[in-house]
Amino acid sequence: MSLWAAQVWLGLSIAVIGISMHRTGPAFRRHSFGAPVALLGLAVMLFRVEEPPQPESGVVAAVMGAAMWLLPALAGSALVLIGAPLYWRTRPAPLLTGWALIVVAWFQYYSTLSLALLDALRWVSALLGVILALAVFMLCVRAAERMTPREPETEGLSEKERKYVESILRRHLEVADEP
Amino acid sequence: MNPEFESVILAFAGSAALTSLFVILAMIGTLNPYHRPGIPVLGASTVILASTYLFARSAGIAADSAALRLTMSEGVLALIDILPLVFLVSTFLLLQASLRKRPEDPLLALLDSE
Repeated sequence: MSLWAAQVWLGLSIAVIGISMHRTGPAFRRHSFGAPVALLGLAVMLFRVEEPPQPESGVVAAVMGAAMWLLPALAGSALVLIGAPLYWRTRPAPLLTGWALIVVAWFQYYSTLSLALLDALRWVSALLGVILALAVFMLCVRAAERMTPREPETEGLSEKERKYVESILRRHLEVADEP
Repeated sequence: MNPEFESVILAFAGSAALTSLFVILAMIGTLNPYHRPGIPVLGASTVILASTYLFARSAGIAADSAALRLTMSEGVLALIDILPLVFLVSTFLLLQASLRKRPEDPLLALLDSE
């Protein structure tokens, strides 16, 4: 495998690790390294000195092609999540901007869409592949958990611990109208 | 083998292999002292190897590192193909989230009642 082919897979791997890191932690404070690591991975994957060989050059071209609708889709979804009344009160500006970007993303995707029966079959097949891989993973996690020895039941919270938990809840729920 | 059928098999093998690779990478990204990743990594690796073997058999090539690269590449293309379906579902969920009314938090009421 050439250096440039390895760079594509290394970048993809770093990006997925970064996205996974970002998913850890509570919703109001994600892992601080997640987003930078994911962006570093994308940069390693997409910016290179030489054209990678096949099949990696096809992968990079497909990712760049999908980015035309994927970027507005991701940015729009993030803005809608910020603007929607999920964690804070409704914020019309990010909400409307987000929906505008989502419409742009759908328009971009629709303008490049050319659907054939074989494509639909490939979609179903790819979905089945994803489901199979996730099912195997879930079965393995279940097996690993069953093999883990059970720990004794945890004791209830002390008065000091109760007050601490209460203070955390109040901090994050009562003053939750600002990010 | 019929080229259309072969394309469908390749998409299946590629997406299964790439999803399993993502599972392994996600476990690396979220590693913590309470993790027991041994069996899940073994299962995901088995899916990757089996998918690569299936891919190589379908494409009529040797099941080596080049077949692994081709399988993963096919997986990227297959997953990009189904991303619009994911976006369709997420658009519907975002629409629901945008139209909902923010509920009163039951935890705060519980704290106030004590």
